[in-house]
Amino acid sequence: MKYMLMMNTPRDGYAKYMSWPKQLIAANTDFMRAFARKLAEAGELVSATGLASPVQAKLVRAGDDGRPITDGVFPETKEFLAGYWIVQVENTARAYEIAAEASTAPGMGDSPLMIEVREVMSAPP
Amino acid sequence: MKYMLMMNTPRGGDYQVMSWPKQDLEAHIAFMIGFAKKLGAAGELVGAEGLASPSQAKLVRAGANGNPVTDGVFPETKEFLAGYWIVQVGSAERAYEIAAEASAAPGAGGAPMNMGIEVREVMSGPPKDPE
Repeated sequence: MKYMLMMNTPRDGYAKYMSWPKQLIAANTDFMRAFARKLAEAGELVSATGLASPVQAKLVRAGDDGRPITDGVFPETKEFLAGYWIVQVENTARAYEIAAEASTAPGMGDSPLMIEVREVMSAPP
Repeated sequence: MKYMLMMNTPRGGDYQVMSWPKQDLEAHIAFMIGFAKKLGAAGELVGAEGLASPSQAKLVRAGANGNPVTDGVFPETKEFLAGYWIVQVGSAERAYEIAAEASAAPGAGGAPMNMGIEVREVMSGPPKDPE
């Protein structure tokens, strides 16, 4: 079964991260690198992606003529996806174990890193 | 440049599409199949996934002993990711054009949904090991 493990952040999450002490950012980066390597070696990692800061996020819809209408305004409460892992594992319990491990990435300790876990259905039907 | 185009759904529980008339759901799915095929043929599609309904979503973190602590309660305002496309294109404008096309997928009754598609630039995978 495939699961998507998502790291979400409020809009100011990236700015906060960039204000961490340099050493802590390095420790976080090292953790993420080793974590991805371990998952890949275990044959559990399907893919992983990090997204650029939501400062450049746009909401796009088609106008009546089919042309894109872009809007950069999001609700204050909106969470933005910062990055994700897709893992291929035997069961949900294993996906939760991996998510728990991701949640221990070093940080400021001001809020626990919560990982949203969702089952992947498939590529578009 | 790589962009992630996200289809978000405004609430938890089961997907609304599941309550559409069968014929409308089939038209929506046919659109999505054709859309992915077209992006693939154009060499613009890097990856695409659809997620199962938010009714089974969990928030997970490690407890003091390292074991997972799971929680199924999300804020009412939370949007859930329903699916995404990652595309490799020459410019943000092209990513917006593709998003607009996805936005016009047929909805209930067959009319274009013109749903909002969140477009974000992809940085990379997890940081690579130093050479």
